[in-house]
Amino acid sequence: MSREAEVPEPLFRLSGISKRFPGIWACRDASFEAFAGEIVGILGENGAGKSTLMNIATGLLRPDGGQIEFEGHPVTIRSPMDARRLGIGMVHQHFMLVPTMTVAENAAIGARPRRPPLSDVRRVAAHLREVSERYGFPIDPNARIEDLSVGARQRVEILRVLAQGAKLVILDEPTSVLTPQEWDDLSGILLALAAEGKGIILITHKFDELFAVADRCVVMRDGQTIGNVAMKDATKPALARMMVGRDLVLRVEPVHVDPGEPVLSVSDICLTDDTGRQLLDKINFEIREGEILGVAGVDGNGQDELVAVLSGLISATDGEIHFKGSPVPQFSPRDFVEMGAAVIPADRHGQGVVLDLSVEDNLMMSDFWTDAFSKRGWLRRAPIHDRTRRLISEFNIRTPNAAVLLRQLSGGNQQRVVLARELDRHPKLLIAAQPTRGLDVGAVEFVYERITQHKQCGGATLLISTELDEILSLADRVAVMVGGRVLQILDIHDADAERLGLLMAGGRSA
Amino acid sequence: MNVDRSVLRQRAWTGLYSVAAVVVGLVISFAAIGLSGSPIGESIRQLFEGALGSSGQLAATVARMVPLVLVGLGWIVAARSAIFNIGLDGQIIVGGICATATALYVDAPTGVALVLAMAAGIVGGVLWAGIAAMLLARRHVNEIISTLMLSLIAVQILGWLLSGPLKDPSQTRSQTETLPSESFLPYLGNSDVLKWDLPLALLAVVMLSVVLSRSGFGFRMRLVSGNESAAHRAGVRTTRVRVQAFLISGSLAGLVGASLVLGSRTHTTAEGFYEGFGFDGIVVGLLARGSPWGTLPAAFLIAALHQGGGLMQAVLGVPSQLVLFTQGAVVVLVAISDPLTSRIRSRRADARDASGVPLAMGPAGTANVD
Repeated sequence: MSREAEVPEPLFRLSGISKRFPGIWACRDASFEAFAGEIVGILGENGAGKSTLMNIATGLLRPDGGQIEFEGHPVTIRSPMDARRLGIGMVHQHFMLVPTMTVAENAAIGARPRRPPLSDVRRVAAHLREVSERYGFPIDPNARIEDLSVGARQRVEILRVLAQGAKLVILDEPTSVLTPQEWDDLSGILLALAAEGKGIILITHKFDELFAVADRCVVMRDGQTIGNVAMKDATKPALARMMVGRDLVLRVEPVHVDPGEPVLSVSDICLTDDTGRQLLDKINFEIREGEILGVAGVDGNGQDELVAVLSGLISATDGEIHFKGSPVPQFSPRDFVEMGAAVIPADRHGQGVVLDLSVEDNLMMSDFWTDAFSKRGWLRRAPIHDRTRRLISEFNIRTPNAAVLLRQLSGGNQQRVVLARELDRHPKLLIAAQPTRGLDVGAVEFVYERITQHKQCGGATLLISTELDEILSLADRVAVMVGGRVLQILDIHDADAERLGLLMAGGRSA
Repeated sequence: MNVDRSVLRQRAWTGLYSVAAVVVGLVISFAAIGLSGSPIGESIRQLFEGALGSSGQLAATVARMVPLVLVGLGWIVAARSAIFNIGLDGQIIVGGICATATALYVDAPTGVALVLAMAAGIVGGVLWAGIAAMLLARRHVNEIISTLMLSLIAVQILGWLLSGPLKDPSQTRSQTETLPSESFLPYLGNSDVLKWDLPLALLAVVMLSVVLSRSGFGFRMRLVSGNESAAHRAGVRTTRVRVQAFLISGSLAGLVGASLVLGSRTHTTAEGFYEGFGFDGIVVGLLARGSPWGTLPAAFLIAALHQGGGLMQAVLGVPSQLVLFTQGAVVVLVAISDPLTSRIRSRRADARDASGVPLAMGPAGTANVD
């Protein structure tokens, strides 16, 4: 398509945008253009900076550096109100609608009434009807939001943005809540909008959507915009590689251990949420002693739920879990720990550590109640101190002393604390979820070494990672998760980045 | 456990902030007195005189401080497990009711009767806190609301009991008969003001501070308030910990209820016997910033304000509501100093991050851990 040639001037341009949060660059020198009449995708994993970039574009966040231009003029966007006035509208992933109000009442929120303080819902309703008919998706302005389907609610969001006069419409992960049929409707609407000359930005991590509607796509990784590809020249594996894989930095020497007895076997695990959405769909696998099963997949395809079920945080709605041959129907995180299993949670700060307690406190969290460290309810200081000292040196935790608050350590050292705590118990099963996320190369290498060591000692490991290289270098077998299902379990010798990338993108088989 | 220098420094700062909050609160209060036309200097003198002027005044201040220490500890135990037990008042009332009923209806020799009545008070406090704890654990009912409402219910129950089943028929006032002397809380030594609840409160301070710092239970509480989901993941039964803390909090309030009733000057239980101690105890807990030892100076301050405020009103006619005024100012100041200090701290941390200085260096230990 040659829409770009017709409109050479970009509608919207971000150049050199940087945004730093404490301890992390959410965006780093990110640049991005959107043209009128074009659908451009922003592709990237969770945490790649897509949402931060778009929050900057809509005035929710202020950039630390960089320039924003709209219709050729430099602009400063201080608030969502500013963005709206310019003509930038955002459709959020989680709808910003008041369920008990009607479509028109929702659209009237934030719109300036003609005769304040009287609201003019009726005029808004008429306007909505007119706009919705123009773009060919009729909606009753007097319907209550709570009576509408998810797809219809999303159309209301789009309609509201259009009614406010948006020239640029940003959609944040619009399909995460839609059924395939609803996606068909949405894609039709998006194409219609582009044909009318609106600029459309589609934030996603699903390739199929981009191939279906987008003209172009910008790939983000680690806060940087690292690629700008016309969809007609793009291939799924190439995009997957850009999005997920850093180039091979580390290769761990493959270690073969003859697998022993099964440690964890999972049959037909299902999980359904309150609204009836299937989060996990008949998951089956088995992990033996001395074996690492990798779970590859784009973030948000059920990995977090799988970890939550396996570690006892939530109960599966269906299916069976066997640990070392015996069934474990219902278990709490405490039971999980006492069975001899350990987890390295993906959300380190949220679930792995207590930032405002000391290194020592964090090291003893999951076994302070055992006889080795407690006597009749009182903590035994000497053995605790000895162990702390040993772990600090064994796991090379770089800290001035054991009493320092965990908050004051670097991310890599915080992760070493988690590893030390979980591995020192010599667990039979280790669930490592995104164990190297956000770590520098040295720390990554250390994590790999420790996981390999755990394997050599006969421990079973479930390694969940969005880093393909990580899985390819560590795992013995790979399961690919898409949409809450395990598509296929491959032997590591049959797996390569391309094949996994295709599977992750939703292809049945390769 | 070992405590790092930076942590100590931070604790010293929070202590200083509490002192500063008190000073500023007092300055504001006296400014208000001045604006109302009373002599400021003389007011201060009378306040001081009333609180600490003689050994008798001092003893009265200390006697008032004792229940405040216990209630303050009750607040702290709960708050350290991220529970806001606003309803200490209600737990004091139910504790008092249970102690009264036991004293009136259970015949026992001196000493035994006292112990039984005190125990009944504790049970009452635990029971009343237990309702809110169960609602929290089973139904996720916000404890701020449930304890507050339970306090209102307790007030009504007390009113009904004192005008009905427990009422002294020979009196027109709503109050009980004189409690049997076997259950009186005895005076301490030859004092005629201080009672045996003073050593009890000191013991509670020591015990709680040891439990919080040295026991597995204290550690669990730190984990739960530090990061409940991480604690849960690590195998701590977080709900159980919070319920236990809630019950301990209630038991301390119940103990206060019993000691107020059994140590009452009139030897009867009357409406309003609990008045002020629940709320003032929360102020003490807040001012102490979660430290059991901190409840001693905090409770002393609040007690002194009450005691001195009485004389100030008698001599100068300055309304003793000044005490409430000061307390209110102090609570607000403590509340704003918390986010204030954390903001300053995080801004400093940001500056350090941005300058690229490593946060922690090698094990040799020359790192900056400011």
